[in-house]
Amino acid sequence: MKLTIPKICQALSPTWCPGCGNFAILKSLQQAVAQLKIAYEDLVIVYGVGCSGNMADFNRVYGFHALHGRAIANAVGIKLANHRLKVIVVAGDGDTYGEGLNHFLSAARGNHDITVLVHNNQMYSLTTGQSSPTTDKGTATKTTPPPTGVIEQPVNPLSLALAANAGFVARGYAGNARQLIDLVVQAVKHPGFALVDIFQPCPTFNKRNTYQWFQQRVYDLTTQKHDPQDQKAALVKAQEQEKLPIGLFYQNEKSQAYHQQLPQLKQKTLKQQWQARRQLKSLLKELK
Amino acid sequence: MPSMAANSLTKSATAFNWKIAGQAGEGVMVSAKLLAKAVMRHGWQAFNYLEYPSLIKGGHQTGQVYAAAKQAYCQYRRLDLLIIFHQQGFVEHQDEIDARTIVFYNSDLIDESILKKYPQFKAKLYPLPFFSLAKQAASQQIAANVVALGASAYVLGLKRKVLSKLIKEEFQAKGQKIIKANLAALQIGHDAAAAQLSPLFKVTSKQTKQLLLNGNEAVALGAIAAGVQYFSGYPMTPTSSLMHYLAAAQQHYPLVVKHTEDEIAGINQALGAAYAGVRAMTATSGGGFALMVEGLSLAGVTELPIVIAYGMRQGPATGLPTWTSQADLQFVLRAGHGEFQRVVLTPGTIQEHFELTQQAFVLAEKFQIPVFILSDKYALESHQTMAQPQLSYALKRYAMVKEQDLPKDDSYRRYKLTRSGVSPRSVPGQAHGLQVTNSYDHDEFGFATEDAQLTKQQIDKRQRKLKGIAQAIPQPVLLGPKKAPVTLVSWGSTTNVILELLTKTKKVNAIHLPCVWPFPSKQFQQLAQKAQKLVMIEGNATGQAQQLIRQQTGLVIKDSVRRYDGRPFYVNDLIKELKLK
Repeated sequence: MKLTIPKICQALSPTWCPGCGNFAILKSLQQAVAQLKIAYEDLVIVYGVGCSGNMADFNRVYGFHALHGRAIANAVGIKLANHRLKVIVVAGDGDTYGEGLNHFLSAARGNHDITVLVHNNQMYSLTTGQSSPTTDKGTATKTTPPPTGVIEQPVNPLSLALAANAGFVARGYAGNARQLIDLVVQAVKHPGFALVDIFQPCPTFNKRNTYQWFQQRVYDLTTQKHDPQDQKAALVKAQEQEKLPIGLFYQNEKSQAYHQQLPQLKQKTLKQQWQARRQLKSLLKELK
Repeated sequence: MPSMAANSLTKSATAFNWKIAGQAGEGVMVSAKLLAKAVMRHGWQAFNYLEYPSLIKGGHQTGQVYAAAKQAYCQYRRLDLLIIFHQQGFVEHQDEIDARTIVFYNSDLIDESILKKYPQFKAKLYPLPFFSLAKQAASQQIAANVVALGASAYVLGLKRKVLSKLIKEEFQAKGQKIIKANLAALQIGHDAAAAQLSPLFKVTSKQTKQLLLNGNEAVALGAIAAGVQYFSGYPMTPTSSLMHYLAAAQQHYPLVVKHTEDEIAGINQALGAAYAGVRAMTATSGGGFALMVEGLSLAGVTELPIVIAYGMRQGPATGLPTWTSQADLQFVLRAGHGEFQRVVLTPGTIQEHFELTQQAFVLAEKFQIPVFILSDKYALESHQTMAQPQLSYALKRYAMVKEQDLPKDDSYRRYKLTRSGVSPRSVPGQAHGLQVTNSYDHDEFGFATEDAQLTKQQIDKRQRKLKGIAQAIPQPVLLGPKKAPVTLVSWGSTTNVILELLTKTKKVNAIHLPCVWPFPSKQFQQLAQKAQKLVMIEGNATGQAQQLIRQQTGLVIKDSVRRYDGRPFYVNDLIKELKLK
């Protein structure tokens, strides 16, 4: 049975703060999945821990609510065990670019066929407002009080992904659901690692990067002459700071996913290749 | 020719001890493995213990083989034949020789004036220019390890045909030229020894069906026999070669081996694969497992099956990377925040490593829990002969729902409250099996909950598994005579040394624990009650299993022998410590 929006919604009601960017991201994801016409049982969403990860209770799908930082690692294992599944990771900026950065970079350079949606609110919000790896320099938070605010420079997720040779790098915005749906659809269809970093205003704890703030800065990449197959141009675009481009930065059209390069997965998935009988003969020869 | 005269008098041997000492990169470990294999092909048993420092070239490393016509469970200190490539060998091994020990020293590096520096080194010393003989026969010094093998085979009375066949097999992949060179090295070693002395004895051969493998190979083979399909981990001594073995096996089986970015990914990828429905495992040592601990807790609450092969080495921290230990028992028993079920298997012999690994996969899947194979550098990197196991293994799946049994109205409950505590699990891809596998406390569907009653219900459900687990784990066994003045207690690899001790004395018997968690209290007490005096033998400073036994049974074992210097136990030390002579 194909997934439909009512079907996927039949879980619990969201518990996010009124005005949270996560609502729009959730609805965009549900719309995208419906558009993709994925069979009900062939979608797995792996959730990180944070406000975004709480979405685990709001979707009625095969879910895996992971540990903070580790969702990508679980997702890679799921995909390699059964590569017919569509595997989406829903996690936050702290989860993906802080605690789990090593997994993020490794999955990107391994080109594991998973879609990573990062709800980037530039803040740790489920723990009541501490700085995250993407918090702007100078921002005062509970863990980085005045006078200095955050001393570190923020990480640039898109540059990191591009440097790790991610094959699909995009940025969405919770304030532009139409574009976001399209980006998620493309990302899931992309045969390989796909990042959609999503600007997600947090009205409760992030008083700096508000809807109004984003509204004044974001612009659609397609309104400019940008070739998404040009990795170098994507790197330049990713570095823009005054105005913030959203859309598809880069897509490698020759992408070959990790599992597609494993000879033992050429015909069938690992799951399908369960053997009710195992023979040891070929291995014992060299032990005799 | 002295050898001609001596041959008719040469007696048949029943056991011998051999050692080769050289630097890393000189192939002494290969010599040792080949010698052990040669012994096996005579129908004997062998145990090959390796010592090496944590470096790639230089240093001082050894391979030593105890060979016996009947059982061989561990190494001995006193040697019949010792081969020394470098002067350092005289310093390191002076306590392992006596006046009857034959020593071949490398006269390319060690001349007679150097020998005078070691007056206490009283053995039968024979010069052998290993390096120049290797160059002469094989055009390269690296073949000195095969020259040593040739000399050894002669002195130990091993059949030359057996050795040359082994050389052909070992170097098959490297081509005819290399095979020929090494056969020449074997011959020149044999001749150089024969020119100086007679064989010590002869080894009479018989037909047996055996394998020679180390603990890592046994665990890997057990995992393959059990249907492992996904392995993810990060290299760490002493379990790296387990991953190497499985990685190579990918070409023969539907198996994916992933060298991950860290141990955290190692356990989390394996849990992902388990969730998707394949049998999964990881392997590591202490430091790596420290990183996996949160993932272990995840396995506990999500109720996912996973097998963790754990090779203990001397800690804390980086410790002694290439030396053995049994000091992580309490860590493994207690690791992970929160309360959940686990099984800790502690195999002794190499054969038991093979068998318990198969059982580990069944236990993990049946009860949806993490299962440890807790071993150590000593067992995992030592080779031992074992009887050839059956070649074919019929496999079953456990505690998984069939798609046709899933309710069409999507009312399936992943964490259904059951009497056994085990809830049959669905896997992605099955229609109507939707569920959330959740690291949060959850309700029966898997949705997160903070409800007090629901939380308690799920914890109680997981606790109820204990009853079934306790009935399914391997039980303690009594080794040796039914009655003895002293009963030793051991777990894991130390049992090998105890088994060897039992071949030397009737004054002790022993209780071996192949599983320490859940602790088999009832069965252990039944055995312990019959003991006149219990002595705990284990490789740590604080008596970790001794504490565990007291905690679980109330039984206080007063006497113990502990070793915690990175070295394994030796039979002769135990005889002395236990005053058995």
